[in-house]
Amino acid sequence: MDYIKHKVPPVREDRLMACQAYGGTCGDLSNDSKKGCLYASKRTFSQTQGCQLNLSLGMISSMRDAVMVIHSPIGCGGNLIQNAGINKVFQKLRQQSAVGLRWINTNLSEVDVISGGEAKLRQAVLKAEREFRPSAILVFNSCVPALIGDDIDGILDDLQKQVSARIVPIHCEGFKTKIQATAYDSVYHGLIRNLVGEDKSTKPAIIRTPEEELEHQEKISKTVNLLNVGSMSRIDEEELVRLLKALDLNVRILPSYSHPEDFTYAHEAALNVSICATHDDYFVEHFQKLYGIPYVLRTIPIGIANTNKWLRDIAAHFGIEEQAEKLIAAETAELNKAIEPFKAEFKGKTAFLTGGEVRILTTAELLHNLGFEILGLRGYHFDKYGEILLEEYMEDVPNSEKAIFNIGSGQVFEQANLLSKITPDLFVGHIGVNGSAAKQGYPIFPLFGQSDDYLGYKGVYEVATRVSRILRNASFNKNLGKNTRLPYRDSWYEQDPFTYIDDSASIAARIG
Amino acid sequence: MSKVIERPRYVCALGGAIGTIQSLPRAIPILHSSSGCGGNLAGALSGASGYNGGNYCGGQALPSSNVSERDIVFGGEGRLHEQIENTLKVMDGDLYFVVTGCMVEMIGDNVHAVTKRFKDGKLPVLAAETVSFKGNSYYGYELVLETLFREFVEPAPVKDPGTVNLWGVVPMQDVFWKGNLGVLKGLLKKLGFETNTFFGQGETLENLKNSGKASLNIVVSEAYGIEAAKVFEEVHDVPYITLPLPVGDHGTSRFLRTVGKALGVDEIKIEKLIQEERKAYYPYLERLADVYNDLDFQRYATVVGDPNYTQAITRFLSDDLGWLPELIVITDILGEEQKERVLASFGEYESGLRPEIVFDEDASSVVGYINRHWPQNQGQKYYKGFAPGVIIGSVMERDTAEQFKVPLLPVTYPISNRVVLNRAYAGYSGGLTLAEDVLSLVVAHR
Ligand code: SF4
Repeated sequence: MDYIKHKVPPVREDRLMACQAYGGTCGDLSNDSKKGCLYASKRTFSQTQGCQLNLSLGMISSMRDAVMVIHSPIGCGGNLIQNAGINKVFQKLRQQSAVGLRWINTNLSEVDVISGGEAKLRQAVLKAEREFRPSAILVFNSCVPALIGDDIDGILDDLQKQVSARIVPIHCEGFKTKIQATAYDSVYHGLIRNLVGEDKSTKPAIIRTPEEELEHQEKISKTVNLLNVGSMSRIDEEELVRLLKALDLNVRILPSYSHPEDFTYAHEAALNVSICATHDDYFVEHFQKLYGIPYVLRTIPIGIANTNKWLRDIAAHFGIEEQAEKLIAAETAELNKAIEPFKAEFKGKTAFLTGGEVRILTTAELLHNLGFEILGLRGYHFDKYGEILLEEYMEDVPNSEKAIFNIGSGQVFEQANLLSKITPDLFVGHIGVNGSAAKQGYPIFPLFGQSDDYLGYKGVYEVATRVSRILRNASFNKNLGKNTRLPYRDSWYEQDPFTYIDDSASIAARIG
Repeated sequence: MSKVIERPRYVCALGGAIGTIQSLPRAIPILHSSSGCGGNLAGALSGASGYNGGNYCGGQALPSSNVSERDIVFGGEGRLHEQIENTLKVMDGDLYFVVTGCMVEMIGDNVHAVTKRFKDGKLPVLAAETVSFKGNSYYGYELVLETLFREFVEPAPVKDPGTVNLWGVVPMQDVFWKGNLGVLKGLLKKLGFETNTFFGQGETLENLKNSGKASLNIVVSEAYGIEAAKVFEEVHDVPYITLPLPVGDHGTSRFLRTVGKALGVDEIKIEKLIQEERKAYYPYLERLADVYNDLDFQRYATVVGDPNYTQAITRFLSDDLGWLPELIVITDILGEEQKERVLASFGEYESGLRPEIVFDEDASSVVGYINRHWPQNQGQKYYKGFAPGVIIGSVMERDTAEQFKVPLLPVTYPISNRVVLNRAYAGYSGGLTLAEDVLSLVVAHR
């Protein structure tokens, strides 16, 4: 993979042949995916979702000491408004002096659409520098400037000479892709091109004595970049850092909630440790290509099996397998004892999960381990990384090939229809779709949360306690189920849930 | 040239339109836009509006044609047609309303040509070109109203002197819109009128359809909904008045007098109603007599937000509560004419107060205005600043309030640190609620 020389990264439809519309079973999906013809499917009725600008902001708006410039008409990036007053709390968990979200919208008007938005972009960047003196200015490009052909990179190159903040262009216009995860590539593309490495023109290179250099290299040889995700809580991070420290590793956490300077020396590391291929494949592959840094990308440490796999992959790289096995043995013994009572409690209960492919497959495995039967999954999209995980999942979880697998971000009408047919005891969902399931009366466990722990061994126990609590009283949602109505016709529930996925007739027939 | 804006408190016309349509009973917005626009706007519409939620059809349930690069090359009209057809099959509504994002405008799709094909069907399908770069949320509100008034409201040659319509309270942008509309409707009922508010609790599409028979349109805003009122007058021959959103005794009494006069209500009847309302209002404030004075509850105040609320709160604080709301920051994008009308809604205070009023869209500017109005301490021993002070604004004023060590009551959009259900600040009862909320802040640390 080598796209870094280009100004703009490719979209995931092209790069990974990612699929965004499918309905069938886990077994079907696994087979069909291997044939490689899923990505062209589409919907003839669709509901809204997010765009890559949206998700780019979700990923990196938390960066400390940075200002975001959203080059767009006034509405793009509107999701930030709901975080304006609360993000600071989460930033402060990483740095006491954090200031919270700051952004500028270029407010493109009709006049700008005709005569070009370049002057506004200049104004916004200069304003960000003048008012806030941030370390970085992240510039997000939306649909309109892309269509009118603003020379974003040219202007920003020129502006970089005038401002001391590092400018990072992020090309993430929404209409380019239906796979929102393309956002991760866009953000990493901008960060790698503009933040990684010292700027030798402004700072003299660090001079070290031979002994200091040796010590420095020794430190690098034990340093890992832990790539976090925007949905991770501080407690999640702390759990993973605890495990990595137990293996005597130094940890640098990137990219969410990081400081721009954290990237400057990001290439001084022995290993990139991802917790999600959907999130990080673009970054780790480029880091390997550019700086020769290997990576771990297989799975997210959710549930015992996947946390073990994750730790073993890391240990294998450093040749400390024995140390890892000891850690795993001690942790799992302690944990298994702690979760024993929950297994009895959850035995025979059923669950349905929806969200990103990596997260739902591993969370499903966790719930299976706690005693749940998994009736179905809904992934935002599906690609080769999902294919590998799904295969491992089907190996680990008996009879899982018959469970439903639906692909689509948003598309809650399909979800509502599915739920009316398979009626699980527990619904596990990504934000944005939980309200819909709540109105159908299901107890809901959120798939992730900024204030709770999900990852590592501690995460398993925490998930168990919270699921147990939620199942104890679902009255709120039950009341909603009885007294509210989703905006679909009764006739919709009688139809096949995948009616509006093109070319899905044969698959639909199997579900009924 | 329009300005770049630091932390805007509104979204685009598309966002305003979606918020407006989804607040109508059983109405289904259909987005003809890039797949991401709806999701992008969802947080602004529900999360930032006191957790308003998506109503019947909002958030990710919004039907959307989800045009992407291919449609943009070949045109999106075919996709829109398919989407409308299937929306009618899947989504259960009584009114369908196509709204557009900037992309489809730029590629030149003719949405009206497409929706026309559904004209003779059983279900109404309307459309408005809510192009984002032409205006913000408020403009979207205005466009939706105009379209409804032109195409959905039925002609009614005979007017009913007992019915009026009321709007100008923008759903979602006014976080307390639903409660506020209910209170105003209740007051007009006491004057003897039936009121259609379109978006309030218990309203129906039938009321909206028949609203052409009203004898007066009341726009409770000096900034928003006025263009729509002109359209209503042109199409349905119903005159309109504009007047400020009322909070508390002084604001609401003025409101009743203005409306009553426009409707030809006998002055004695109006004054009688005002006296009755005051009889219910002041006994509550009376309870504060000791505490207000024993503990010296008077405060300086900075009020930040949209024109509807800033004027209403300023009058309430000044004339009902006896405070000193000396600095007002209005954060909306307004034309010169709008600014003049809005400015005129501040003033004639019983207290004789003359607040400083500034127009500035940037969120971080507020600090600077406070510092200028109440000059900062330069290290002097004897010094008088913004103390004792209170900020009434939005959640965006959190840092500012922290910096000046004063309490903040979020009343204007965005609000993400309060949950709002049926709370109302309008009218006499709303004044009491506001007094409760703001004075609770003052005693909270005791
Ligand atoms: S899809 Fe385009 S126009 Fe819509 S919110 Fe995203 S960037 Fe803005």
